[in-house]
Amino acid sequence: MNKKMIIGLCLAMLMLLLAACGSGTNEPEATKDTNKGTEPAATAAGTKEEKVTLSFMHFKSDVTDGVAKIVEQFEAENPNITVEVQPVKYDDYYTLIKTKLAGGDIIDVFTLNPGGQTKLFADGGYIMDLTGQPFLANFDEDVLKGQATDGENYVMPVNGGPIAVFYNKKIFSDLGLEVPRTYDALIEAANKIKEAGKTPFALGWKDGWTLGMWASRDLPSLTALEEGQTDFFQKLEVGQAKFADNPAVKVTIERAKKLFELGNKDQLGVDYNGVVDLFSKGEVGMMYTGTWPLLDFEKKNPDFYNNDLGYFPYPFSNDEALNKLEFNPDASLAVASNTPHKEAALKFMEFMSSKQGGDAWVNNIKSLSYVKGSTTSIAPAMDELKPYFDQGLTYDSQIYFANTTLDWSTQFCQLLQQYFFNKTTPDKIIADMDDWISKNHK
Amino acid sequence: MENGCGWAGANVPLSRIFGGGAGMGLLRRTVKNEFWYVLFLVPGFSLFALALLIPLGMGIRYSFTDWDGIAQTLHYIGWGNYKNALTDNDLWKALLNTFKYAIILTIAVNCLSLLFALLLDSYLKFRNVFRTVFFLPSVISIVLSGFIWSYNYSTGLPKLFHFFGFENVTSPLGNPDHALFGIIIIAVWQGIGAPMIIYIAGLQGIPQELIESAKIDGAGTGRTLWNIVLPLLAPSFTINMVLTLTGSLKVFDLVFVTTHGGPAFATEVMSTYIYRSSFASYKGGYGMALSMIFFVVLVIVTIIQLSIFRRREVEI
Repeated sequence: MNKKMIIGLCLAMLMLLLAACGSGTNEPEATKDTNKGTEPAATAAGTKEEKVTLSFMHFKSDVTDGVAKIVEQFEAENPNITVEVQPVKYDDYYTLIKTKLAGGDIIDVFTLNPGGQTKLFADGGYIMDLTGQPFLANFDEDVLKGQATDGENYVMPVNGGPIAVFYNKKIFSDLGLEVPRTYDALIEAANKIKEAGKTPFALGWKDGWTLGMWASRDLPSLTALEEGQTDFFQKLEVGQAKFADNPAVKVTIERAKKLFELGNKDQLGVDYNGVVDLFSKGEVGMMYTGTWPLLDFEKKNPDFYNNDLGYFPYPFSNDEALNKLEFNPDASLAVASNTPHKEAALKFMEFMSSKQGGDAWVNNIKSLSYVKGSTTSIAPAMDELKPYFDQGLTYDSQIYFANTTLDWSTQFCQLLQQYFFNKTTPDKIIADMDDWISKNHK
Repeated sequence: MENGCGWAGANVPLSRIFGGGAGMGLLRRTVKNEFWYVLFLVPGFSLFALALLIPLGMGIRYSFTDWDGIAQTLHYIGWGNYKNALTDNDLWKALLNTFKYAIILTIAVNCLSLLFALLLDSYLKFRNVFRTVFFLPSVISIVLSGFIWSYNYSTGLPKLFHFFGFENVTSPLGNPDHALFGIIIIAVWQGIGAPMIIYIAGLQGIPQELIESAKIDGAGTGRTLWNIVLPLLAPSFTINMVLTLTGSLKVFDLVFVTTHGGPAFATEVMSTYIYRSSFASYKGGYGMALSMIFFVVLVIVTIIQLSIFRRREVEI
């Protein structure tokens, strides 16, 4: 009798345990329900059609509020669609989204970089082919062609922007410096700034992407435009080319070291936000970056932002004719191929491609939109670049390795950092890189 | 390590069932009487299987493919990944960094927490306050303390030193020579709380009469400590050494939030290297193979360590 009671007790406890587990999974649903209960109050207007919740994941986490405002505009236009926005820091974005998709999660709409990343997702069958969708007519043919993967449009262009050099006009005029149009002039100006006791370059290389952003533009520009090896990176990926065969590599390595020496104190210890702060205080001469910090500059030092902030194209070459303005696509949008809300997702794309959507990207996050006819005036500093836009003097160095998936720049930057501290030599970096490539190419 | 307690109950009936030349009747009776022990194992074991065994099996499968981490089909390449790993210089560098980090950290954490435990077990005023203070960093999440310290290093400390007139103080995380030590300092700051509590508990478990009789025999503080306290503290020592060493070998979060393995690979540990191979270089299969190798290394280290320390323990 006693044994039976014990067994009974055990069973009862087990059931309790299972019940506890069960309630654990039930709980979120219950809270979700209560959420749903409160939400319709705001969107009660359109009750006839079914409510749809779209999930939208993006890597513009530095402008989370801006993107949220853009999405709000969309929601106001489409009361039946609620968009759940998930901003993710760029460094972790692709890891997270790959894990989510491979794990079977559905993210209806998400941002991608055109080129290698898009190809990877398209080849994996995760994103919808958008070719021929009516909303693509809102973009220039060239832009669409530039962002196509094997001739098909898997992503819709959204925004883009120049990557150039911000400079402090006050420091430049105090020292009587001209805006440099060649690489040598750039370094000469930097040296003069240093002699005057100021910091020439704001680097913020603690974040991996800041050094990577510079290296993955300087090297392809030099390789393709100065050395004429336009297919270098494609060949690299299949093992037909070597870093050792490309004289531009050594130039980039030496330039990186030069920048490091002319940079702010603690180059690898201060991150991007740190140098944005530093630069907006007006103590630094130049900063190589995209338009992203404009919002922060304006917030932190409006006086500097309106009067003393300038912007010039990065002169990678000593041949002035080659030094056009680097203009890169930023985020592009893709629709998941397994989305259950295809219609709503396409509506979202349609909105983003409209004039209103394009302007929303320009006004809220201070970047330029690819939508035809959207506005371009985003900051006083941008006016300096107007002649380049007007005369079409822009180029995109990223296309030279757009169709490769080799992440050479991360490895390259780590080796560069060894060189900054004299732990390696340029020749050793090149040998190491070739070693790494041979290990990694397919 | 985590699941050790789940198995304890099963040992008793098994030895009784198969021990000696008992007949079928006894076996049946034992099964009937003792079988319900197994019931207790079911929830624990199913969790263990779901969270550990099944993913491990899947991982082993992936480690024999050249999966890029995203494709939906698998292509088997046999032992290729393992062969590559053995000739991979970066792997050895990462392993070296991992062990450097783990060994320095284990020694530092254990020395410091033992010191604090001895101090806070004595008749100190406000000792409860101090115990709380030293334990507090352990309460913060590792990611948070990583952020706090990167800020401290890059902004806070240079400003502080500037105030005292020292210029050119830079973040250790920005220099390949110091970055690993910069991370170790954070880990020590955060890691001494839990071992300290275990040491304090161990100290309080030592019978007071042993110490008193040693004093009566004329032993000084140093001798008492060396011949009585430390030997009796050996079980706490074992558990703390094993826990901090295996924990620090597996470090990922702290390195990831503070340095991402940089600068110049100076803080690249095994788990960040595996992460980088799997996700940044699109070699999911290779990353899995590395994980398997690392798993074997961890198992070996733990077995060696346990066998060494268990031998030195003293029973009262």
